[in-house]
Amino acid sequence: MAEAEPLFRVSDLRLSLPDMTRKPLFGRAPAVEILKGLSFELPVGAIVGVVGESGSGKSTLGRALVRLLEPTSGRIEFRGVDIGHLDEAGLRPSRRDLQMIFQDPMSSLNPRHTVERIIAAPMERFGLDRPRQRAREALQRVGLPAEFGGRYPHELSGGQRQRVGIARAVALEPAFILADEIVSGLDVSSQAQVLALLQRLAADLRLTIAFISHDLAVIRSLCSHVIVLDGGLIAEAGPCASVFDQPQSLMTRALIDAIPLPEVDPGWFDSHRALLA
Amino acid sequence: MMPDSNPVAAPGASPTLAIDGLGVAVRRGPRLLRDVTLNVNPGEVRALVGESGAGKSMIGKAVLGVLPRSIEVTSGRIELLGHDLGQLAPARRRQVVAAAASLIPQDPMTALNPSRRIGGQITDRLVLRLGWSADAARRRALELLERVHIRDPLRVMASYPHELSGGMRQRVLIAAAFAPRPQLIVADEPTTALDVTVQKQILRLIRELQAEAKTAVLFVTHDMGVVAKISQTVTVLFAGKVMESAPTEQLFSDPRHPYTRALIAATPRYTHPHEPLRPVPPELIAQLWREVESTNGEGGEHG
Repeated sequence: MAEAEPLFRVSDLRLSLPDMTRKPLFGRAPAVEILKGLSFELPVGAIVGVVGESGSGKSTLGRALVRLLEPTSGRIEFRGVDIGHLDEAGLRPSRRDLQMIFQDPMSSLNPRHTVERIIAAPMERFGLDRPRQRAREALQRVGLPAEFGGRYPHELSGGQRQRVGIARAVALEPAFILADEIVSGLDVSSQAQVLALLQRLAADLRLTIAFISHDLAVIRSLCSHVIVLDGGLIAEAGPCASVFDQPQSLMTRALIDAIPLPEVDPGWFDSHRALLA
Repeated sequence: MMPDSNPVAAPGASPTLAIDGLGVAVRRGPRLLRDVTLNVNPGEVRALVGESGAGKSMIGKAVLGVLPRSIEVTSGRIELLGHDLGQLAPARRRQVVAAAASLIPQDPMTALNPSRRIGGQITDRLVLRLGWSADAARRRALELLERVHIRDPLRVMASYPHELSGGMRQRVLIAAAFAPRPQLIVADEPTTALDVTVQKQILRLIRELQAEAKTAVLFVTHDMGVVAKISQTVTVLFAGKVMESAPTEQLFSDPRHPYTRALIAATPRYTHPHEPLRPVPPELIAQLWREVESTNGEGGEHG
């Protein structure tokens, strides 16, 4: 992707969090470094898969990009501006452009609000005009009938709830969406629908998406680029075609090897292309 | 080959679990299972696959006798090692099930008591339900923990659940499930919460242990990839009804039911990244619902 200027340029990103498992009864928990120096770029319009085992730092990286977490050091340039260490006031102009869709749509939608109100609320917060009407348009965009606006989250299926989460994010017309394991709780059928929707929206709205997942099959079918994390470091990154066709790192190979393809293969359990701890 | 001929069953062998015409419904409410018939033989892994709400977990719960209070069996029979469970007095039924069947649950965090050490959580059932001596139970627990590749079983026995990773906890639950030498294991989405790499290790462990002990396994999953790897036979459920039962190999090489074909088509294929994902068509779902509802002839409905 030969874009002049990437949407994100991240250099030597490091991030430490308190290790609550080693927190003494009184006093501060010791810090543990989660991200250990990551450098990469996200081209405009790319759907970038972020993959790795649990604890590899996928979600922490995502949260740093949308600045829910502040990096310990390093730069996060968003459209050429380092947002890594801005305070909340400094971040305000970028907030609308940095949206997020969550893993569990039930816990991320207010159960006491109607769908329309849920989608309209952030638009009201950002002072957009006609938020209710835009909310109904957003519902249409994600393939839900307009009357869903009057329903409550518990009246929807998992796939429909996840669409509401997507509608809420795209209604703000952001530049970037962080999608953190958004299909892992869904059935294959709803999963296929949500992935197709995301792909269409990304193309229509020229969105850049970081798609966090542990499922390489999903990443390969959705994403243009992929970043493979291993213990807080980038094991491998690049366009999906090259990373998946010629995986260079052990971690990428281990992840590929572990995918249970929907085909009968009695030798699958015995294949150890990569050593796993 | 017959549609549901069984690649594992020895001729004439009697199944570990035989479910015949099972109906389950919410009291005065919707039906959850409709006329489900399936067998699991010694040494066989039968996958139960379907989307959420298809009733896959309900079958396991009905077998283990842990249906929620609001849900009841309305028809059919469940035979475990030849015992017709519905005919047994509740206490006897619990005894039979506790001795013969184990559960590997989905969520390894909520399945373990957070305030108790691991060791007791494995040995309790052996000692309290099955009458093992404390010493024998402890030795068996250590043996199983070693068997599931836990490096320091003594330390893990003395640990609390929060001190272990998700993969370790799931291994502990596998050890606990196999410890009493059950003839049947109900595995209810045991790897859904895990990473792919850990999932593969866990699937391999279940496969090794059940093959060794010739345990029958009812493996509930929504993942056609996992079905292909772990099972020898598959039952596909939709709206509580069996759509298709077949040997796994045949199900993937020659899926007979349109719903089975749709489920396979909706599974992302790592090896075919450019094939568009095809969700199960809404028309098919509507048609299946009509079929399911129209064959609702049998009695037993409450309310």
